[in-house]
Formats: sequence, structure tokens, C-alpha cells
Amino acid sequence: MSGTRLTKWVVAVPMAALALATIYPLVFTANVAMKTRREYILDRFSLSDSLHWENIVKAWTSVGMSRYFLNSVIVVACSVVLLLLLGSMAGFALARLRFRGSSTLFLGILAALFVPFQVIMVPLARIMADTGLVDTYPGLVLAYVAQFLPFTIFLMTSYYSTVPPEIVDAARIDGNTVYGVYWRIMLPMGAPALLSVGVLNALFCWNDVLISLLMMPSAENRTLMVGVTSLRGQYSDDIPTFASGVLIAAVPVLLVYLFLQRQIADGVTAGATKG
Amino acid sequence: MSSVGPAPAGPTEGAAIAPPARRPHPAGPSSRRNRRGSRAERLAPFVLLAPAVLIIVALRLWPLLLGVNFSFTGDGDRNGMWVGLDNYLTLLDDPLFRTALGNVGLLVLLLPVAVAIPGLLATFVYLRVPGHRVYRGVYFFPAVLSPVIVGAIFNLLLAYDGPLNTVLGGVGLGPVDWLGDPDVAIFAVVGVHVWATFGMALVVFLAGFATLDPSLLDAAKVDGASLPQTIRHVIIPALSRTIQFVFVTTMIGMLTSMFGLLYVMTSGGPEGSTYLPEYYVWIQQGQMNQPALASAASTALFLIMLVVGLVQIGILRRAGKEE
Repeated sequence: MSGTRLTKWVVAVPMAALALATIYPLVFTANVAMKTRREYILDRFSLSDSLHWENIVKAWTSVGMSRYFLNSVIVVACSVVLLLLLGSMAGFALARLRFRGSSTLFLGILAALFVPFQVIMVPLARIMADTGLVDTYPGLVLAYVAQFLPFTIFLMTSYYSTVPPEIVDAARIDGNTVYGVYWRIMLPMGAPALLSVGVLNALFCWNDVLISLLMMPSAENRTLMVGVTSLRGQYSDDIPTFASGVLIAAVPVLLVYLFLQRQIADGVTAGATKG
Repeated sequence: MSSVGPAPAGPTEGAAIAPPARRPHPAGPSSRRNRRGSRAERLAPFVLLAPAVLIIVALRLWPLLLGVNFSFTGDGDRNGMWVGLDNYLTLLDDPLFRTALGNVGLLVLLLPVAVAIPGLLATFVYLRVPGHRVYRGVYFFPAVLSPVIVGAIFNLLLAYDGPLNTVLGGVGLGPVDWLGDPDVAIFAVVGVHVWATFGMALVVFLAGFATLDPSLLDAAKVDGASLPQTIRHVIIPALSRTIQFVFVTTMIGMLTSMFGLLYVMTSGGPEGSTYLPEYYVWIQQGQMNQPALASAASTALFLIMLVVGLVQIGILRRAGKEE
């Protein structure tokens, strides 16, 4: 018994070291963001002697991060709302309504889940260009919705499959139409799954760079992640400003993670336990 | 599928998105009177599904066919002309694409490591190593960060005059040109990818452990099994489905979600040594303006994923049966 306890402590040391290695890069970046250029060049590791918020202010205002931030917020918010609406409608229909071809449809949606964006990006770029949607908010929103909808439908369908069919039947007997059942019963009942899928989709959209690069070529339409990549070239000799830009992009994710970690993990693992 | 033209699909979908959700209110009272069986009611499943299906077909499945078709046509002067397998032959001749394929091979070789690390860590967390409550939350965090942010941070850390080399210099090692040496850069990028994503697999493993029957572990303990024996004979067989899932998703992740890292950290360099197929597709489409060649590379990537995925599942199934 004492042998296994000893083993556990021996294992705990490298695990704790790994935990530090996981946190440190972000702490390092935050520290650099608070330094002056001179301080960074003289010593990379020392704690900044005073907090130089002017780097953050510079990144936010003169570098244009505020504009990119706003673009990201608008696009992510619209995408997530649409994804949740369309995903829950489809999930409810697939899980709780009987109609011809429902299992075929579900399989088709599942197949779309395994088509990675890289495989369709060339024709998609052409479709978006032909329809005049390139470089517009609706174009990028539509691209995100198309990308993450199969996953959303998959999770919502498996969630609604756990809702007892009697609830739907009872609501029908009470005189609700199918749409009424969806709007008044299923949508509110889906809240836990919607929260989990919604957070995950928000992260996917917020973190994306490839789709955004492809759909938003002009500088003023850049999303935040593309904005960060453009900082690298512009501020290669001003590391604290660069680090400030990175920090601005990372902090919202950190906040979401601190409050909704369990929901994120639930969304990630739902595919594993139900697939 | 051919009836859904790609060109008009985009805007009409945008318009079709809102109405179904609003419909219940005006439709509610009338259909409440003539109960079930009304036309509107029978159509309801299709109305609920229509916007989603339209978007998926028009912007995911249709482009897939379009892209495969596109890969057999030419670029530039031969735009739109049928060129057979020319693009695929060009790919095989292109040293950059060959490097990309070689790097895919490297990823496949590294895959067992990328699965074993989170698997082992999850086992220890499950066995309640001291501090186990903290590890899960800490390890999972980089997995929710954008590859762009991760790449940008490691750009600083791995710079030639950066902190890591300063530390190495302090103990008399290096400096190593992490992102500038063609022999080293791909390992640096893959290492960062594993650092950033092992928490994802860890969380999936922990969800698998949650379904594990604790009495199995107790029995193993009573029988005096060592930790390696317990892992080999109890944990691996019980979690075979989870392990399968992690193998496949980790592989997909390596092949399709490293773009951000490559874009920020190396731009495919030095000397093209960090190219992966997805980056090659992007360069040919976005920079070189060779969409047909890019489509051929896309199709090749899709085939690689199908083959690797099916072979993996085959191997893992067989291994599972031998247990």
C-alpha cells in the first residue's frame, strides 16, 4: 500500500512540473506585455517593475485591435445564435419527430461532420466570391455556420434523444403545434446542451484563423485572430506591444474558461461517449 | 443535389433562416383547432430541418463534389479545361508537396506518443495522484486557446535570442535555432501542437474513466497487480472505445488544425520544411492563385485522412479483439 502511495508522489512531481509548463507561457506573455521595450531587451524574465498599461492601450487603439475585436464579437455572436437556432430545430426534428428518411438525413449530416474545411475551401471561396459574400459579415457568419452546424446538430440530436417522448406527446395533447412544442418546450428544455454547444461554438469561431483569412481579405474586416497574425510582422521589434495584442485576444477565452470549463469539457466529450 | 445550384444558394439561405422559428405564433391558434394531420403539421419536420440541410448541402457537401471535379481541370491558360490527372502529377513532382506528405508520415509515427501522454496523465489523475483536482483544469486550458495565440506565444519563447535559449545557455547548452533550422522546426511545431492539445485528449480519457467499473480496479489491487499490469490488463481493454476515439480525433487534429500554428510560427519554412497538406492548399489557393492545383491537394488530403482513419480503426479493432 505504502508502495503505491510512494509511486503516486513520484508521479506527482513531473505532473506538477507539467502543470507549471502549461501555465508559464501565458504568464510570461502577460509579464512581457507589462514591460517597456528596454526592460524586455535587458531581461526577459524579471517581473516588470511597474505595470505598463500603455502597451495594452497602444495595441487597443493605434494598432487597431479594438476594430478587430468588434469584428470578432459581431461575427461570433451572430454565428452562435444562428447555430443554436438551426441546430436545435434540426436536432428536435431528428430526435423526436417521426418522418420518412430521418435516419438517412442524420447519416448525411454525420458524413458532413467528417469533411474538413481544408478539403472544401477552394470551391467554397469561389461560391462566396460568385455570390458577393466575400469580405462581408454575412459571408463569414454563413461560412462558420456551415462549418460547425453538423457538430451542433449531432450534439443537439443526441441530447433531445434523452428527453422522454411522453413530454412531447403531452404537449401535443394540450393543443400545441409541432412548432409550439419546439418553441415553448424543447428550446427551454435544451438549455444545458445549448449552453455547452454554444460556448464550444463561440470558442471555435473566436479561435478560427483559416476561414477568416479566406473570407475577409480587407484589413478593416479582420477578425481578432487574423489581427494578431498581422501584428507579428508589424511589431517584431516592439515585443511588449505584440504581447499586449496576444493578451487582448487571449483574455476573453481565459474568462470564458474560468466560468464555463465544465460545459466546454461536456461538449468535447459528448462525441466520445455517444459516438 | 444538382438542383441546388451553388451560386444562388448563399443569399436565399440567409433569408430562409429566420421564418421557421417565428412561425409558431401565427400558426398556433388555427392548427390548434383542427388538431393533427393538417398539412402544415405533416410538413413540420421538413420545415424545421430545411435551413440546416440547405446550408450543409450547399456549403459543405456540394463544394466537396465541386472540388473533386475541379481538381481534374487546369489553372491559368487551361482554366476550366479537363486535364485528367495532370494536377496530381504536378503535386507528386512538387518538392514542397512531397515534404508535406513526408511530414504527414512523421505525424502518423508520432501519433502513439501524442495519445499515450494524455492517456497516462489521465490514468494518474483518475488514480488520484496528489493534486489531481488541479491538473485537469490546468492541462485543459491551452486546448481552448487559438493556435494563433499559442503560436504567437511560442514565437516569443522559441526565438533565437528568446527565453528558452537563454535558459539553455545558462546551463551551457544551445543555442538551438528552434524555428530556423530545417531539421528542427517541424519537431518544434509538432511539439507545440501536442503541448496545446493534449488536454483535450486528457478530458476525453477522463470521461472514459468515468464509465469504468471501479470494482475492476479494486479486484486488480486485491490480486496485487502492479500499476503497469493494471494499465495493460484492466484499463486499456476497458477503455478501448475511448482510445479508438482519441486516436482518430488526434489524427484529424494533426492533419486539419495545425494551420494556425504553421501560419504564425514558420509560414511553412525554413526551406519549406514545415509544410503540411493543409498549408500547401492555402498557399496554392491564396498566394499562388492556382485553385485547381489546390483542389487536387485538398482531394489528396481527404483521401489521406480516409485511408489513415480506416487503417487505424482496422488496427485498433483487431488489437481490441485479441484482448
